[in-house]
Amino acid sequence: MFERQDEEDIVERVIRELRRPASIDRALDARVMSEIARPETGLVARRPFARVWPWLAAAAVLTAVVIARPWSRGTRPDAFQFVLVAPQAASVALVGDFNDWDPTRAPMHAARGGLWATVIPLPPGRYRYAFLVNGVEWRADPGAPAAGDDEFGTPSSVVTVAGRGS
Amino acid sequence: MGIEIVEAGDAELVRRIRAGDIGAYAALVARYRVRLGRYALHMIGDREDAEEALQDAFVRAYRSLARCDDPERFGAWLYGILVNRCRTTGARVARRRRLFVRDENAINGATHPDQSDRVEWADVVGRALARLAPEYREAFLLKHVEDLEYEEIADLTGTGVSALKMRVKRAREQLQRFLKEAEHV
Repeated sequence: MFERQDEEDIVERVIRELRRPASIDRALDARVMSEIARPETGLVARRPFARVWPWLAAAAVLTAVVIARPWSRGTRPDAFQFVLVAPQAASVALVGDFNDWDPTRAPMHAARGGLWATVIPLPPGRYRYAFLVNGVEWRADPGAPAAGDDEFGTPSSVVTVAGRGS
Repeated sequence: MGIEIVEAGDAELVRRIRAGDIGAYAALVARYRVRLGRYALHMIGDREDAEEALQDAFVRAYRSLARCDDPERFGAWLYGILVNRCRTTGARVARRRRLFVRDENAINGATHPDQSDRVEWADVVGRALARLAPEYREAFLLKHVEDLEYEEIADLTGTGVSALKMRVKRAREQLQRFLKEAEHV
């Protein structure tokens, strides 16, 4: 099967074989990001590093996931990070009630791994939002409740920001 | 506003994540996916179990990031989590028949003049590796495939350097024997 060589050389051939790059499913990245977006408990924690929203528990295996979490504390409104995994997108904007559905006001920035993200301040309230991909494709957040009263017929989601005392 | 990751180092990415920028973790996952995936594949021997272990290691690392004392060495710290995860998985699947995972992409891209020999050699290597005791396989892979120093492996595994050297030596001897047996089949 293979030429007889001295024993040391055989082990070196084994090592060379094992050092070949492995092909790992790239979708693993999205699965990890989806998993870490899910809360470890069903409660909304107040710790800055751990807080995620309970509705993200509904996000099992997603091609896209949005993470809304507080960015800062103090007298200003909490800032929330929205993240979308969209490896094929050329541009993504976050649009919603909070910015008059204007795609120029919250463009999302590309990170590695097909991730798009942006951070916006949100006072307490209930907001509808969506992602505008490549300037034409509206996408709801698959991990968030769907907004049921969309008069425009486009998909959108809803996020509720609780007051600080709640 | 938002994330603008280009070629930030591990420590910078860890700092951003700790500041609340979850998206920065995607860069770390992308950075370590292939290398750690290779270790998990060789250590566990089953692709599905290996990818599950790798995913779990990344998630555990994220949730334990506050305990990463030296963000400059995030990679080594992550390795430690994966090594432990592979041990757990290895114990769970030990009773199942081990299957060596062929890296089909690598095989398809090989320039070897005889593809069948290439595939056969990969199978022989995988079967020989699977016959090693888990602690021998672990030490051999970390030393010779992942190219870590013995001191680093000792930190990861909690095993003394002299014991590790013995395990690597035994692993080499056994691999030689297994491969010679395969040659005569």
